[in-house]
Amino acid sequence: MGCHVGAPHVMSRALGWLAVLVLGAGLVMGLGVAPREVIQGNVQRIMYLHVPAVIVAQYVAFAIVFMASIVYLWRRSETADAVAHASAEVGVVFMGVAIATGAIWGKPTWGTWWTWDARLTSAAVLFVMFLGYLLLRGMIEDRERAARYSAVVGIFASLNVVFVHFSVYWWRTLHQPPSLLRPGPATVSPSIRWALLVNIVAFALLYVYLVTKRVRLLRREAELGA
Amino acid sequence: MSADYWGFVAAAYGLAVVVLGGYWRALVRRERRLDSLAQRRTP
Amino acid sequence: MTYARRAWIVLWKDVVTERRSKETLNALVFFSLLLLFIFQFTLGDDRERLVAALPGLLWLGFVLSGLVGLGRTFLTERENDCWDGLLLAPGDKSAIYLGKVAGNLALMLVVEAILLALFALFFNVDIGRAVPALSLVLLLGTVGFAAVGTLFAAITAHVRARELLFPVLLLPVEVPVLLASVKATEAALAGEPLSAVAHWLKLLVAADVVYLVAGLLTFDALLEG
Repeated sequence: MGCHVGAPHVMSRALGWLAVLVLGAGLVMGLGVAPREVIQGNVQRIMYLHVPAVIVAQYVAFAIVFMASIVYLWRRSETADAVAHASAEVGVVFMGVAIATGAIWGKPTWGTWWTWDARLTSAAVLFVMFLGYLLLRGMIEDRERAARYSAVVGIFASLNVVFVHFSVYWWRTLHQPPSLLRPGPATVSPSIRWALLVNIVAFALLYVYLVTKRVRLLRREAELGA
Repeated sequence: MSADYWGFVAAAYGLAVVVLGGYWRALVRRERRLDSLAQRRTP
Repeated sequence: MTYARRAWIVLWKDVVTERRSKETLNALVFFSLLLLFIFQFTLGDDRERLVAALPGLLWLGFVLSGLVGLGRTFLTERENDCWDGLLLAPGDKSAIYLGKVAGNLALMLVVEAILLALFALFFNVDIGRAVPALSLVLLLGTVGFAAVGTLFAAITAHVRARELLFPVLLLPVEVPVLLASVKATEAALAGEPLSAVAHWLKLLVAADVVYLVAGLLTFDALLEG
């Protein structure tokens, strides 16, 4: 088998199962328990995927990239570098899911696959920024240099998340008529709120599980020189 | 009252499962490859 | 040697080199002229559309020339094996960053001024009254480009496929600066007072400050090897 022994592995598997459990609960709530939304119909249920993916990617994953990058430059900790790398990777995956589900939601709702609304545009810019981060990492062979350079890029990319948000939001909302069909829950029904919350927690747990797994892999690869 | 686009809902959920599950499986496969590599190095 | 003096020396070296060869400036001006022609061929017939698109076209021109110019920032150092010289420079290496940013800023502003004049001339647009406002917007926006562009140029200098990676890294990061600059330019060209776009200007100032500070703090880490 392999050296799958020790507390970290046990905890990781427990975390994985917990994530699956909450994801399952989120699925049930999103598809079943939550009521059919009044204006959009059942298509709104896609939001239980789209919103958690965006929130976890933006406010958790990319924030962690920021902090881990700073810690790396400050302390030269290889674990910090691995965390930054893993978090960016999972963040990009989640963001990709967010964009795709946003587009799938948009087709029946707005009649078009893509729309340059504030949220999707921001998501796309963030996605490309951190994809570039991963590309950079892939193109530098020297591990130490890759860590240093991507830490700098990671800091700029994460700082920029704030500017992207404001600029894209102002670009889309100022001097434009308010949109009736804004993404996100149109009503404040409590069961919709709960379904969203459960799914957000589920995605957050999945993020933690995937990142810890990826960090472990990166550290092992570094040790083995693979 | 708008029509129910269950096809789109299924597509979205299906995509999420495929992408997230696929990423997870890629990680698992990578880990297994590392395991066998480590085993071969320390007989 | 003081910090300011070190930065000044880097700037002066680049300015003198450029003044002697005029390589980059000539190429960029020529490139901008070509862009002008392309814009005319694609949009020229419909004057209203052209004027409406002018802010975007201007910044498109600035960005494209900026990419070319910024991408070459550390070219001489790399080609002439001067990189180690930078590494061994005593003291705070962020002075080098400041000097480089200033040099790039100056170069980009010169190209932008020329391009602006050419646009006004060839597209017969009267920009006279807008010049003070435009100058401010161009300055704020270009600082945002130069600050990040110089840093990313240093990063990609040693990476394979640097001509591809440099724009891929820089452009998404510059989206806010670009948006703000185009919107503010729009207002300036329309004769609106800059107070109408105060939020965009504030965003530009904030971004410029953040990028410069981050660049000053992190440039050292890039020069370690």
